[in-house]
Amino acid sequence: MQQHTYHDGDPQDQLPKPDDFFSWPQDAAHKHEWKESASRWAVLRKAYPNHPATWFQGANAHMEAGELNKAENLLVFCREQFPNHPNSLIFSATLAMHRHKWDMAKKYLAVARERHSDNLQTWLNSAECAEKNDNIDQAVAFYESACHCTPSQATPFIQYAELFMRTERWEEALIRWEIVREHFPKITAGFTRAADASLKLGRPMEARKLLLTHQYGTDILNTEHPPQSLPSQKNTYTDTVNFLELIWTKAAFNLRSEVNRNYLSYGWWVLEPLLHMAVFYVVFGHLMQRGGENFPIFLLTGLIPWMWFMKSVSSSSSSILSGQNLMLQVGLPSSIFPLIGILQASMKQVPIFALLCVFVWSQGYSPGSHWWALIPVIIVQTLLTISFSCTVAAIIPFARDLTYLVPTGLTFLMFLSGIFYDYRTISADWQELFLMNPIAFLLKCYREIFIDQIVPDLHTLLLWGLGSGAACLLILLAYKHLRYVYPRIVME
Amino acid sequence: MEPLISLHNVGVHYKRSGNVFRRRSFFEALKSITLDIFPGETLGIIGKNGAGKSTLLRLISGVIKPDTGKIINRGASVSLLALQVGFDPNLSGRDNAILSGMLQGHSRFDVEEKLDEIHEYSELGDFFNEPVRTYSTGMRARLGFSVSIIISPDILLVDEVLSVGDLQFRQKAERSMVRRFQSKQTVVLISHSHHQIARLCDRVILLENGTNVLEGLPRNVIDIYTKSHSAAAR
Repeated sequence: MQQHTYHDGDPQDQLPKPDDFFSWPQDAAHKHEWKESASRWAVLRKAYPNHPATWFQGANAHMEAGELNKAENLLVFCREQFPNHPNSLIFSATLAMHRHKWDMAKKYLAVARERHSDNLQTWLNSAECAEKNDNIDQAVAFYESACHCTPSQATPFIQYAELFMRTERWEEALIRWEIVREHFPKITAGFTRAADASLKLGRPMEARKLLLTHQYGTDILNTEHPPQSLPSQKNTYTDTVNFLELIWTKAAFNLRSEVNRNYLSYGWWVLEPLLHMAVFYVVFGHLMQRGGENFPIFLLTGLIPWMWFMKSVSSSSSSILSGQNLMLQVGLPSSIFPLIGILQASMKQVPIFALLCVFVWSQGYSPGSHWWALIPVIIVQTLLTISFSCTVAAIIPFARDLTYLVPTGLTFLMFLSGIFYDYRTISADWQELFLMNPIAFLLKCYREIFIDQIVPDLHTLLLWGLGSGAACLLILLAYKHLRYVYPRIVME
Repeated sequence: MEPLISLHNVGVHYKRSGNVFRRRSFFEALKSITLDIFPGETLGIIGKNGAGKSTLLRLISGVIKPDTGKIINRGASVSLLALQVGFDPNLSGRDNAILSGMLQGHSRFDVEEKLDEIHEYSELGDFFNEPVRTYSTGMRARLGFSVSIIISPDILLVDEVLSVGDLQFRQKAERSMVRRFQSKQTVVLISHSHHQIARLCDRVILLENGTNVLEGLPRNVIDIYTKSHSAAAR
């Protein structure tokens, strides 16, 4: 407390302002040390005998301390000394209520309401008196007046709501707390006590909402602009379209990512098959003297389709295992993983195939009507690639050891497909069996179109196409059947 | 009120070990779970590590099927709120946002329509068009959360996501999640933060050793769990 010097007999106008001292008895009151507070007010009364607060607050401290007679003595003096002060009536009513003299209390409060209708405490005490007399409707009316009397103060609004809480009128309490929140959004009770009322009504969700609103602000309740989610798409058509679109986008983005990683970016798409061709050309064409006059073109027409198949199989073989995070996070159907790998490898082949056509043309093998046969050949190779790659990818999660066999198997297949040698150079007895290998048959078709400039055996091609198509359907059905098996397999 | 999803005595076991030379052994991730999820509620799941919480979310989301018991889904579309799904570090934030949105089941057109919103929400500025490998961890988390919060489905399964990015973004993220929770969305939330569960959930389930041992109001379940835990620790 601020230090002041005080001497008995000093005229009051020489004393420090009384308000500076009032915190002294109020401190004791805050600690509920009512007797101490009353004695401090007694000291201050000597210094400030004309200040009403020293009398009224002193009386109040006595009342709280249970010293009702002492309070009565002070209030008798107050009523004579400060007859027009509202507290003369209000505190007298309070004392009467302490003594359960309800009629007297009501009388004092009636006069107070008549004379001091603009005094908040008049209405609050009137409401309290009415409530203690079980006259709740009258208490409600007094709280209404209290709220109108001082609309900028939260106390009457809160006490009004608390009246309904005490009387367990939870619905009405909720309405009152809503009004408290409207007028005084920073008052915690508007949310926490309303949540209590909601819980009493058995509405835990509403209670939680109120508490969260208190923490995060009222705008989270704003339903006019809820966080917008995209419409959920749940039908077979949109599912299929989305599925295909996702395969396309993911494959395209994977290629973009791959290109971003390398210095030569798209250049590798062309360089890689050329390097392969250079190796085969040097080894078979020069060192082993196996090539002929058109060996580069012979090699390229076999190597490029083979690389399409080989890259599709190798990029999709372990795709289900490597896609396990996605599968477990978003529940993607597992067939999407090999299909992305196949499409990615296929997209890379498009410019290479175009360059192959240009190269073949530049070597004097002009395009003609027989080139149309490229379309069914490419379709059959696509079906074959999808069925083979998807089958390998489907088996590997069940037998991961097979991952080690895929490169060896592909190398074996490469040597059996006649990429760097002509199938006609092998014994005639074996040629038929050799062409039972669909890759060898497809390479034969490509070479017949590009080099021999004839239409290949479309009948056999059709058979391979039908067989591959059926295999595609079967394997995709198997994927559908195993949809919920793969997530478990990859986790184990 | 009819539940959206009901689980009846659901059990899941995983293969722990075994090959041609060794006998197979199994680990029971979930033993017997019976549970209803009601429309509009926020259901919390608590339990120690390995109690089966993530497996339960995978079951509810339909990623896996149970080995025993049955799940009845009365037409609800359920998705796990998956952060940074399929992120490729060599692609730009924009491309990753498109991909991530599509992986969560939406068309490219729909996701592209939301791109500006995602860009704005993520507060990435010009970085949005830069490769994700140049991002800090916080920036990545911001992008992931922005995609998920803006395009996430109607029924959310949330596994410990409310701790993304720096403090400021975390507050924003939590606020957005709370807004979602406040809407009529059904949410299943896994969190190790009991405070968070108590604040956000209407009902809590305690999982222990693959069984739901307790169910009730958040404060009650958390209190019992905490007490039993501290008693066990003594």
